[in-house]
Amino acid sequence: MKALENEITDERLLIEAAQRDPTCFAELYENNFDRVYAFIAHRVGNRDEAEDLTAEVFHQALASIGRFEWRGLPFVAWLLGIAGNVLSDRWQRVAKQQEAPAEVEEIAGAEDKIEQRAILFQLVEGLPQDQRHVVIRRFVEQRSLREIAQEMKRSEGAIKQLQLRALENLRSRIRSNHE
Amino acid sequence: MSSLSLADQLDRSIEVLMAKRKPNGNLPRTDRSMSELLGIATELRLFPRSEFKTRLKASLLEQALAMSSAPTRVNVRVPARTLEIPKRGREQAAQSDVLPTLFGVGYGNYPVRRSNFVMSLLAHAAVVALAVGLSVWAAGHPKEVTHRIVTDISPYTPPPGIYQSSGGGGGGARDVLSASKGKLPLAAREQITPPTVVVRNLEPKLSIAPTVVAPPSLTMPQPQLGDPLAAVLVPPSSGTGAGNGIGSGTGTGVGGGHGPGVGPGWGGGMGGGPYRIGGGVSAPRAIYAPDPEYSEEARKAKYQGTVALWVVVGPDGLTKDLRVMRSLGLGLDQKAMEAVRNWRFEPAMKDGRPVAVQLNIEVSFRLY
Repeated sequence: MKALENEITDERLLIEAAQRDPTCFAELYENNFDRVYAFIAHRVGNRDEAEDLTAEVFHQALASIGRFEWRGLPFVAWLLGIAGNVLSDRWQRVAKQQEAPAEVEEIAGAEDKIEQRAILFQLVEGLPQDQRHVVIRRFVEQRSLREIAQEMKRSEGAIKQLQLRALENLRSRIRSNHE
Repeated sequence: MSSLSLADQLDRSIEVLMAKRKPNGNLPRTDRSMSELLGIATELRLFPRSEFKTRLKASLLEQALAMSSAPTRVNVRVPARTLEIPKRGREQAAQSDVLPTLFGVGYGNYPVRRSNFVMSLLAHAAVVALAVGLSVWAAGHPKEVTHRIVTDISPYTPPPGIYQSSGGGGGGARDVLSASKGKLPLAAREQITPPTVVVRNLEPKLSIAPTVVAPPSLTMPQPQLGDPLAAVLVPPSSGTGAGNGIGSGTGTGVGGGHGPGVGPGWGGGMGGGPYRIGGGVSAPRAIYAPDPEYSEEARKAKYQGTVALWVVVGPDGLTKDLRVMRSLGLGLDQKAMEAVRNWRFEPAMKDGRPVAVQLNIEVSFRLY
């Protein structure tokens, strides 16, 4: 409880520092990137679009940081509010071209899943170097096993094992995180 | 199922997953464990590119620097980690007025405390006040701060001694009358011709003025040579003593003592008594000093202590005129004197000649 209060106090001080000196926004960005990205990625289901919208959210947040008023809520709630607006704008633009997707009603029940995704993104950073390398190459850059094996100068079987161990590792960490 | 086959099965499922255009699409049918892994793999398909996060941060920093050209001043305490901004940002920030001051622009941009400024100000003020105060004081007290180092090169004049002059001499020509009153001969360090009142050799082959061995500065205005302490003024007489001096003593001096000095003492000098050690008179050195015996009385009483004796060591190295200065009793004083009487010394020297000196000797009695 005490740690939570300290965290909130620190975040408030960071916000006030960023209001005074926008270059201090960098730490707020680092602290909240994963959750904002996970939120947007969950909505749009596309990495390129998620990245574009995430960038738009943070640029808008930085531009509006001077108007932020502390009301006791975490800063990420304010960012997710901006993200919601950005997504609405995006859907309105899409709707003009085609029918609007029926994803809006998902938002209320998807908070846990978004949080899990944000945690997963953070856990990937903590993987062993070779496992993390395989995950990035395989899922982010969508390389084939053969390409990864050539790059890492290992057999495809070894890469398969690394891929398996990486996913199992992430699963166990997610479970321990839940506990 | 072996781990290799599990890896193969997982990879095949991932291949199917990757082939789907939409990541949130249905997963291949597998067991529960495999489903969990595939769920994670599905989520990872949306994992952001690593360079994206860095690129977006740089873009935000550029925007922030553009905004910071007109910063809004809010006075709050800031955690130190907030200052961890990229190097480029720090360089540009340094160009703007963001350095902390107590009251000026930029105060509050960094984690500073106003009390620190106040303490610093007070410390600086104290140092400045001290420097100014010392300067003003030094200007008003020039004599007190002037240090002069002067080397005294004037002739050295030893201070007067604390002891009365000692020594003496005597003489005489075995006349019937006592020595007549008169002035002292010249005082000199060495004596070649003894003084005489009645001159018997009127034509000496080598004429040298008569002298006595005494401090050369000694002057006593008297009409003629004689003993200044004599009561008889006339007729002229060298006195009843012996040794060709003047007076009733023996030797070549003046007075009733012995030796070439003046007065009732001996060994030269004046004032009576032997020389004291120092002032050109060396100390005698004991060459034979047997230990004293313990008195039976003191031994039985297990009595210990030190007896101080006043002794004159003559030019012959023998002790004379022993006196007890500090007594122990129980027969130890006598034992000490008996021992010291047998002591032998290399005599004290003055101007290369042995002279009598007085000194104190401490004789310790200890029971072991």
